[in-house]
Amino acid sequence: MWSRKPVREEGTPREDATPSATGRDAAQPASRRAFLGRLGLGAVLVGLAGQVYVLLRSLFPNLLYERPERFKIGPPGQFSEGARFLEGERVFILRERNTFHAISAVCTHLGCTVKMERLNQVKKVQAGGREFEEQFEFRCPCHGSKYYGDGANYAGPAPKPLAHYRLEMSPDDGQLVVDMSQVTDRDFRLTV
Amino acid sequence: MYRKDLIWLYASGIVVLLVTGFLIWSFLEPEWSEYQTDFRDLVMEKFGPQRATQVSGGLKQIWVRELGTVDRCVTCHQGIEWIGLDNAPNPFKTHTGGILQKHPVAQFGCTPCHGGQGYATDTETAHGFVEFWDEPLLGKRLSELYLVRTRSAMLQMNCNACHRYERQTKGADFINRAKDLVQEKGCRACHTINGRGGVIGPDLTEVGGKSPEQYDYSRISGVQTAFAWHVAHFQDPKSLVPETVMPNFNFSSSDAQALSLLVLSWKKRQLPTRYVPGVQLADRPTPEEAEKERQMMTGEGAFFVRKGCFICHSISTLGIESAAKIGPDLAVAVTDVQSRFGRTLEDFLNNPTGTMSVVLSTQIQLTADERKEALDKLKIAYQKTLEQKPKK
Amino acid sequence: METKHSAWEKIRWTWQPASEREAGDSVVRNFLLHWFPAKVTRASLSWNYSFWLGTVSAILFTILTITGVVLMFLYVPSVERAYLSIKDLEYAVTFGWFIRGLHRISAHLMVAVVFLHMIRVFLTAAYRNTLAAGQNRPLNWIVGVLLLLATLLLSFTGYLLPWDQLAYWAITVGTNIASAAPVAGEPIRFLLLGGHTIDQSALIRFYVLHCFFLPLVVLLLFSYHMWRVRKDGGLACVDHLAISQKAVSTAPIRSKTYSLLGITSGSSVHVETALVAEDELTVQSSPNLTRRLLMVAMVTVAAAALLAFLVPAPLEEPANASVTPNPAKAPWYFLWLQELVTDTTFRIGGITINGALVGGVLLPALLVLWLVILPYVDSSPISTVGTWWAAERRKHSLIFLIVILAILVLTVVGTFMRGPYWNFYWPWETWPEMPRRF
Repeated sequence: MWSRKPVREEGTPREDATPSATGRDAAQPASRRAFLGRLGLGAVLVGLAGQVYVLLRSLFPNLLYERPERFKIGPPGQFSEGARFLEGERVFILRERNTFHAISAVCTHLGCTVKMERLNQVKKVQAGGREFEEQFEFRCPCHGSKYYGDGANYAGPAPKPLAHYRLEMSPDDGQLVVDMSQVTDRDFRLTV
Repeated sequence: MYRKDLIWLYASGIVVLLVTGFLIWSFLEPEWSEYQTDFRDLVMEKFGPQRATQVSGGLKQIWVRELGTVDRCVTCHQGIEWIGLDNAPNPFKTHTGGILQKHPVAQFGCTPCHGGQGYATDTETAHGFVEFWDEPLLGKRLSELYLVRTRSAMLQMNCNACHRYERQTKGADFINRAKDLVQEKGCRACHTINGRGGVIGPDLTEVGGKSPEQYDYSRISGVQTAFAWHVAHFQDPKSLVPETVMPNFNFSSSDAQALSLLVLSWKKRQLPTRYVPGVQLADRPTPEEAEKERQMMTGEGAFFVRKGCFICHSISTLGIESAAKIGPDLAVAVTDVQSRFGRTLEDFLNNPTGTMSVVLSTQIQLTADERKEALDKLKIAYQKTLEQKPKK
Repeated sequence: METKHSAWEKIRWTWQPASEREAGDSVVRNFLLHWFPAKVTRASLSWNYSFWLGTVSAILFTILTITGVVLMFLYVPSVERAYLSIKDLEYAVTFGWFIRGLHRISAHLMVAVVFLHMIRVFLTAAYRNTLAAGQNRPLNWIVGVLLLLATLLLSFTGYLLPWDQLAYWAITVGTNIASAAPVAGEPIRFLLLGGHTIDQSALIRFYVLHCFFLPLVVLLLFSYHMWRVRKDGGLACVDHLAISQKAVSTAPIRSKTYSLLGITSGSSVHVETALVAEDELTVQSSPNLTRRLLMVAMVTVAAAALLAFLVPAPLEEPANASVTPNPAKAPWYFLWLQELVTDTTFRIGGITINGALVGGVLLPALLVLWLVILPYVDSSPISTVGTWWAAERRKHSLIFLIVILAILVLTVVGTFMRGPYWNFYWPWETWPEMPRRF
């Protein structure tokens, strides 16, 4: 077992140098020095950690260049009976006589855009205690998820129904406004 | 010797710590967060705690992709679209006038009209009174500097950015005055503006984009700015350009300012068509088509023009000619329907089949009265066909 | 039998080894520190020999790399978005202005420090070989010159990226000076810009050069530069120590080497510092060198951070090809060139001397050539190697310093005494204010 000979630092006296006169005097400045040393080292570490924080925090964006979640889509008169797909926003606007509702076209599985499929015959659906008739359904081309016309998922890997978004009439010019920040239930209808 | 190293190490550690500390502190309490707190208090006071909780904090921006506008004004000016804050102090005041109806903030941003530096997030830099920013806020401060007495006059320079090709723009009276002057004083006699005009003076179509350094300021007193040059030039051209032949029109200072703002608004711009007023993104009928339709509207068959039947059907004896002639001539509908479908015209109108079933249930919705009117008119039309037949 | 050391102990022993054995281990078994020898002469560690300028420039390069990588996530190298992304850095990104400022200040500092480092190496004649076998310090000097040029190019390519008036016109001036080179000038400019004008292709080329290609070149050259320092036996002051101890020069002898590789090959560089009294003149690298290195790193970081906090990076108007700012200046480290171009443009009778060619291409080319051959034409005695202000090198030093002074004077004139229209203004004369729109 070789001995651990401490490495001599330049400027520090060798171990066999003359010991100080009183042990206590040597201890106090030594402990103060050690304290200051620890303070200094702390400053170095905290300062560097702070800089690392600065660098990393800057990568979390404060402002986004994205589409707004609330947007106008035009006056109700421009929408004919049935569905219209808004490509950029990925949402279906559905009109039944004078009621409107909006269904998200984003599949709840992994985010592909679902397609609307018109059925050849009216289909009667009985699910979850509800009964209704539908002329169309939604199908997802990515992994085969299927949704009823009211957005409820019934086949494939989709875990949840398609979201319904709140629709409003803009008070200033009477245009329809889709608010994708507000999810509503499937019975929500905007009556014009 | 090496102990001094440690002192330097620790000292530099403290410097880094202090710098980082100041840096983080300056980001924790930015100028705008104070305004946001004050706004929330104001909302709490005026509208109650529930609405106050709806007020969100943080940096905000309006990004208008087509205009390349990135405006962070709404970080402090949170109240511009709120109803009921008309008497609040700035920056919380509701935006004045009904102009936001036609110029919604989400489609225009703020700086295309007001000027200033939209990117910035502290007051002085955002208002644009800094070096290397071309257009400061076109508001009170500039108006006071240039003694422009009409409120919002300077702002109207930017109205003309889009409304340039309108003869008069509602709400932009200062600029309208300048446009009137251009007509009255005959600027085009010497200057080409938008492709028309003379060649004695320079082409003014894009003079607003001329660099301020390209003007000669040697005879100007006061601030050396492009705006000041133009005002001085309008008030006395010879004093700035001795060899000019441009007459002195003795413009009042207000008129000179209006003309200067007009001229400075004449810049080369890339505007999407939907931002340029008066541009109809629709193919319009030719004058002949329009005249024909007008004539048909005044005749007996006006009903069929109004309801849109004429798009597919002619009703020849009533003077209605369809351009497409997709369906048969309704002048003989009375007998034609009978032979085609085995039903009377009245029966058919009430219960249409085929294409007409689709058309009459979606596109052309007829009330019972309208159906009766159509029936009556078609009977008249049929009468006329019988009258027109050559007498045997 | 070897004692087991914990992970923490193995890190800690780089600055606080508990024994001679640990001190040696810390250097040899540490990936980052294995370049160091186990022992260094105290002379190498002194401040007033090298001022640690080479180290400082390496640390600045590290700061630049780290801040640069962060900035790469935030900056967009497209002519439509570049300016906006820098404005976002200034106002919308948390600490954005500071990171950008730190990057910029470190870049300017690095150019200055590399320049000073070169001056130091010259004045201490550290570019010359002495008696040890296998030395090739002149080659390392050339590598250093290449590193200087790479540093200048890195700064130049980075200068364009904000795409503001300052950037656009500085690069216009710079590339136009370069194109004045005979034969190769125009094609080089065409290749650099990816066209005839400074537009998107120029921006993306400069971006790739700045972020990938040139840093890679610097890393490779730097690695070789460090390798050569070890191979040459350390800093030149070590040579001086060895030589000053010996009265008579002898043939190089096999001696204890400081490189592990020497043990296996048997023919590596060996320096006569075996004859240097080890106990008196050398110390363990760990902790003496490592602690001092850490300290220099911290001081550099502190200075750069403080300067970045106090001196914000400028951003002028967006680049506008139809409006040249007045005056349009190259970056400060090329201003001496721009000033030189002015001063070498004149008419004699009917002939115009093309300043761009003479002052902008020929003179700098000659300067670089002169730098490269300096070690080979320096015939001062080897006793001057590794010392400051040696009497025998007075003439060499004087000539060198005059050239340096000329460059500095030209830089100062170009920076402070050239105003709008490149008119000459004394420092106390105010420049005319440039007109604005409102």
